[in-house]
Amino acid sequence: MIKKIEERRILYEHLDVPDINTFDVFRQYDGYTRFEKAIAEYQPDDIAKMVMDSGLKGRGGAGFSTGLKWSFVPKDIKPCYLCCNADESEPGTFSNRYVLEKNPHLLIEGILICCYAMGIETTYIYIRGEFTLGKKMLDAAIKEAYEKGYLGKDIRGTGLNVDIYSHPGAGAYICGEETGLIESLEGKRGQPRNKPPFPAVEGVFMKPTVVQNVETLCNLPFIVGNGVEWYTQMGPTYADTRSDPPTPDPNTGTKLYCISGDVNEPGVYELDLGLTCTELIEVAGGLRGEEVKAVIPGGSSAPILTHYELDTRLDFTSLTLAKSMLGSGGIIVMNETRNIVDCLLNIMKFYAHESCGQCTPCRWGTPWVRDIVQRIADGNGRKDTITRPKFGVAENGRWGDTGETEDIYEDLDLLESVANNIANVDTMTWNTICVFGIAVSWPAVSYLRKFRPEFEAAIREGKLVTLPVAEATVPPEENYAYQQRFIPKEFADL
Amino acid sequence: MSEELIQIETPFAFNEENQREFDELIGRYPIKEAAMLPTLHLAQRQAGYITPAVMKYVAEQLEVTVMKVKDVVTFYPMFFEEPVGEYVIRVCHTLPCALRDCKVVLDHLKAKLDTDIASETNLAKGTTADGKFTLMKVECLASCDVAPVIMVNDDLYKNLTPEKVDELLAKLAS
Ligand SMILES: Cc1cc2nc3c(=O)[nH]c(=O)nc-3n(C[C@H](O)[C@H](O)[C@H](O)COP(=O)(O)O)c2cc1C
Ligand code: SF4
Ligand code: FES
Repeated sequence: MIKKIEERRILYEHLDVPDINTFDVFRQYDGYTRFEKAIAEYQPDDIAKMVMDSGLKGRGGAGFSTGLKWSFVPKDIKPCYLCCNADESEPGTFSNRYVLEKNPHLLIEGILICCYAMGIETTYIYIRGEFTLGKKMLDAAIKEAYEKGYLGKDIRGTGLNVDIYSHPGAGAYICGEETGLIESLEGKRGQPRNKPPFPAVEGVFMKPTVVQNVETLCNLPFIVGNGVEWYTQMGPTYADTRSDPPTPDPNTGTKLYCISGDVNEPGVYELDLGLTCTELIEVAGGLRGEEVKAVIPGGSSAPILTHYELDTRLDFTSLTLAKSMLGSGGIIVMNETRNIVDCLLNIMKFYAHESCGQCTPCRWGTPWVRDIVQRIADGNGRKDTITRPKFGVAENGRWGDTGETEDIYEDLDLLESVANNIANVDTMTWNTICVFGIAVSWPAVSYLRKFRPEFEAAIREGKLVTLPVAEATVPPEENYAYQQRFIPKEFADL
Repeated sequence: MSEELIQIETPFAFNEENQREFDELIGRYPIKEAAMLPTLHLAQRQAGYITPAVMKYVAEQLEVTVMKVKDVVTFYPMFFEEPVGEYVIRVCHTLPCALRDCKVVLDHLKAKLDTDIASETNLAKGTTADGKFTLMKVECLASCDVAPVIMVNDDLYKNLTPEKVDELLAKLAS
């Protein structure tokens, strides 16, 4: 029995209020009062401390603590810039779009608070080129905020100067990566930079830069308005047992979960962090189909979860410990009719198209992976005619020769090897400039390891074969990929 | 790009309105080059696509080499170096849309328009003979909740079915 989960709308609370995109209506719903509270009651450092204490983690993909990121920004180098990442292009993610189209003033208020806390005077909102409506609404809101004296010079007589400019992208996924975004903003090809130096130290125009996702910034008004204590009550706080005594690892706040694929009511659901996959599917109107075959938990870059893992909580820590990630919070559900080889092919076509081409492993490896999957999907996957000894847990309980033999699926070995040479998912090391590399090998390797029977069947039969869920999935006890899975303990329970 | 090539093209310059917008744009950044993407968008809106003359003009305006502009134009899929139809139809074909049968929509469009799908290096392939439509595939348009989706120029169309595509095409053709 699943308990009924209620949405908790905070960022999206007034999203559907008519004309909330205008200043006057936004104002009726407490608009800009949180910013006013911030400048009236707090010093910039207090705000930064509140954000740190709130445990807010970046919602754009990396899940890095926002307060910590701010603390890396050198105080003595000016100007410092804020880049708002509105490039939302991770497949399966669509929450920023609604903020931009329907409630752009909320984002502006968040930006104002960030600018006040960090002493920033110029903000660029890098908005995805395809968001024409979003850009129109945002530009109108910015113009209105200037007219009402909430942007520009000497805001509300406080001596604070903030300018916000929107900057359109032009259809390249990689410009969502923070340093790719910065390069693109500078008018170049959006090719990510080597790190360090991190943008916080040397970003756009070689100056310290804070890069923050739209959703992250939209959390700020509520943290300031309602206080840290209120904020930290939402979502679990785990115990990080790597240190002794354990330190708190907060996954606080709500998340705009974007759910798509085989559910009855796809959409954005704002819920406390930390509910499970099963619960989220239930909230989204239940599964469309008979059985869940697989769930992608955090945009197409995240390793896939099988039906054995549906109890995994969808928050930053739990998913990391389950060897996946929350990423951008784009959840894609697949039912029993889906073929995993076909899904992987679709995703690999995406990555092969979007690689920026700077690093050899990524530039060559990604199309190579795509071609191998294409070959398998076309029914031309290669399999050897000889067999080899099967390695696994032998009778003595150790890793070794089990005495059995196994077929050699040449293309599957090749697939795993090529993917792991772009970025190695086991050692978590890579030879590429940005983490796009791991975003390629994570899905490739996890799909293969967890749904190997379906890949083998496609090669054996010479065509795509969709197996029943139970047969298609490798059970956890046989799979190396699951074995490091670990479920975190809540701090309060210790 | 040789001088000759640039010569045979009609020269390009911003019209008055775009010039005003450009002047405003350039003031936003500490270096002129940073205005590259918005400027190219502006130029493409005026010229239809990015010709060598446009690149030359943009390069002069931003005080960079033509090669640098070309470098940028070739990187971003939204800039066209060839003429496109009056309506550019972008069909999303990434996983969430694929799970909702975007292929049906794509095939239907292909049959209806009697054209192939444009590739980034060959836009003519996906343009109808009368020059009215260009059909292309794009990656996730960040609207997976209303999949399958397409964009026609600046507008998004949601939850598409072959019937809805027919309606839409009829509307656009009139
Ligand atoms: C390949 C790639 C694509 C990314 N795309 C996006 C994106 O579309 N939107 C976004 O907000 N962050 C994206 N990110 C994450 C950013 O690099 C960065 O972590 C984020 O904008 C930081 O903001 P946050 O701390 O508020 O999340 C991407 C990262 C990578 C590696
Ligand atoms: S890993 Fe790929 S996307 Fe990232 S910088 Fe290298 S080539 Fe570009
Ligand atoms: S996959 Fe089509 S909009 Fe996201």
